[in-house]
Amino acid sequence: MSLAHRNLFQDKTRLLLSVAGVALAVMLILILSGFLAGMNHQITSYLNNSPGSVMVTQKGVVNMLGATSLLPPGADVQVEAEQGVEQVIPILSQFVILDLHDKKLPAYMIGYDPGQGGGPWRIRAGREPQTDDEMVFDWVLAGRHDLSLGDSLDLMGQTFKIVGLTDGTTSWMTSFFFITRKAAENLLRTPGAVSFLLITPVEGTNSEDLIRRLDDLPGINALTKARMAANDLELFANIFSMPLRLMVAIAFLVGTMIVGLVIYTATVERQREYGVLKAIGAPNRVLYRVVTTQALFASLAGSLVGILLAYGLAGWIMGARPQFLIVLDPADMLWALLSGLGMALAAALFPARMIAGLAPAEVFRK
Amino acid sequence: MILLAFHNLFQNKTRLVISVGGVALALLLILSLDAIFAGVEHQITAYIDNSGADIFVAQKDVRNMHMAASAIPASIIDQVKAIEGVEIVTPILYVSNMVVTGDKRNLAYIIGLTENSPIGGVWNLASGRGQPGKSETIIDRSIAEMSDVELGDTVEILGQRFTVVGFSNETANIVNSIAFISLDDFQALRGSPDVVSFLLIKTHSGLSADAVAALLESKIDGVTALSRTAFSSQERRVVKDMSTDVITIMNLIGFLIGLAVMALMVYTAILSRRKEFGVLKALGARNGQLYQVVLAQAFMSVVLGFGLGVVFVLLLSGIIPRLGLPLSLEIRPISLLKVGGTSLIIAALSAILPIRQISGFDPAMVFRGT
Repeated sequence: MSLAHRNLFQDKTRLLLSVAGVALAVMLILILSGFLAGMNHQITSYLNNSPGSVMVTQKGVVNMLGATSLLPPGADVQVEAEQGVEQVIPILSQFVILDLHDKKLPAYMIGYDPGQGGGPWRIRAGREPQTDDEMVFDWVLAGRHDLSLGDSLDLMGQTFKIVGLTDGTTSWMTSFFFITRKAAENLLRTPGAVSFLLITPVEGTNSEDLIRRLDDLPGINALTKARMAANDLELFANIFSMPLRLMVAIAFLVGTMIVGLVIYTATVERQREYGVLKAIGAPNRVLYRVVTTQALFASLAGSLVGILLAYGLAGWIMGARPQFLIVLDPADMLWALLSGLGMALAAALFPARMIAGLAPAEVFRK
Repeated sequence: MILLAFHNLFQNKTRLVISVGGVALALLLILSLDAIFAGVEHQITAYIDNSGADIFVAQKDVRNMHMAASAIPASIIDQVKAIEGVEIVTPILYVSNMVVTGDKRNLAYIIGLTENSPIGGVWNLASGRGQPGKSETIIDRSIAEMSDVELGDTVEILGQRFTVVGFSNETANIVNSIAFISLDDFQALRGSPDVVSFLLIKTHSGLSADAVAALLESKIDGVTALSRTAFSSQERRVVKDMSTDVITIMNLIGFLIGLAVMALMVYTAILSRRKEFGVLKALGARNGQLYQVVLAQAFMSVVLGFGLGVVFVLLLSGIIPRLGLPLSLEIRPISLLKVGGTSLIIAALSAILPIRQISGFDPAMVFRGT
């Protein structure tokens, strides 16, 4: 232990660099995971904050953000007539691309009836739309593009006045904005159209039974909002998980290589001492322990610093770019420490192999 | 001195492999992310680029297909046909929806085509027929393979069942695929017979698509007309604008990791050779000459790491499509320039610490046996 300690601390700059390297790798893993968790949170924000617990979609559609849904005419009346349905809120929604300051920004448009609900859940400034040429815009997006209350915005050939700014409706990929359902119908040239119905069951109603009955209605599909949120997450996770996993794998390999390089160099420099230890009868496992202890220390110290760095960087990113939400889950810290441990064990392989091949007599030949 | 740097670098092969590998991986992080987004940009415009149309007409202010909606009255088709320079006009309906096969749901752009439409249809048919009839569809081959769908099977689109009569190639990407159905089916399902999404136009040969598009916009109210090139460029910008912030952050992290690896490698390499540097100093070598060795060693390492990083990305871009994954990696010269520049900065910065170390070497230490 003391030999491992001395080997490691003998050159402080090298130790510092190795801890920094692992810290950067762990930080990257944590930030990537936090970024994904934040994105998941943002993706489901409308479903998490809108009224009702059951959603009715066009048959075949099980996502909110992934696919466009258009219910058959009269579906809302049929659903309202079902037993166990307390409230039905229709919305008409569609992704649109906003051209703001020469930037393309995907935004999710929700057309709703302000008297019924299904609109913004937290208005930071202003009010809900009252006429068909008014809109409620996301405040982060508005701030980034110098838009404020009273400003006008052209959308699909029509001009809207911003009358409200909302909170919690942004993400790096897309933001939500709200107009009246009538305005959405006009924009999409679909008079009377409804994309989704937000259903609040009567208290005590068996949701599964209600969903089954709603599902039997022609041309529609019913599912819980929780299921819908899970489907949206699964869809986006499928899209982003591949590049994300690739980057996490790279970060892990880089961290392993950094620790490996440090411990290997430290071991090479001290190979005569290891030879002496072997010559006086120290078994290989003792020497392995020395090497592994060094690797473990560098990795765990790096992991802890990486966790702190991740918190700092996440705060900085969210401050500088509020559209990014980075959620650092305590469970991820455990994964970070385990990653550090994994890096240490993998990194100890190189020097351990070298020690195993070291001839005790080597020391006497020099 | 360059020779000394070369010997220093190659003297310990394990250290060389670890350090060059580390730099290569850090640069791979930057390169692969660029390549993924470049690939997506390319894939996302596949329909537009291969549609055969010279001009796309959309609802006013709509300049994209991806994540966008467009609705124009079908009644303007005759007005469009009357515009000088317009040879063929094909309306399409378009919506983002699902191709459902059993339990599997695949996100897809559903395109409604007129019967025997000369443009806007399947451009690379893998098997079967390329024109959908009533209750028929053509779906992407890779999606069909993943979902075990054969020609003649039925899939669910827009809540209705369709018989698969053809498989298309080049119609899937990391986000979604394209499925073609007939315009009549589409209109019946959407309940909007008087509305189409886009008009695809073929101009008379020899005429500028941009000029005809401008003429269309000036003569017809409520539409935006763009040449295929301009429309495709607008589409690529969606991906680019969405990914800019993410790429910047990842590039910064990749840069820091690369820097840490390189700094550590050069530092440990110089440290293990401090006796030699002491001897060189004792023999009269100036600090400037020793700095050259350090810099040369750092530059050689990053050049090797850069080369290896590029090879990794090339390998990935070759392997991934063979695995049947709808992900395409595309290496652009600008990415190589950016990563090359980053490598040089990494090399220069990583040499600072060892240079400071060397400048403090005492030539006499070599005789003290330290």
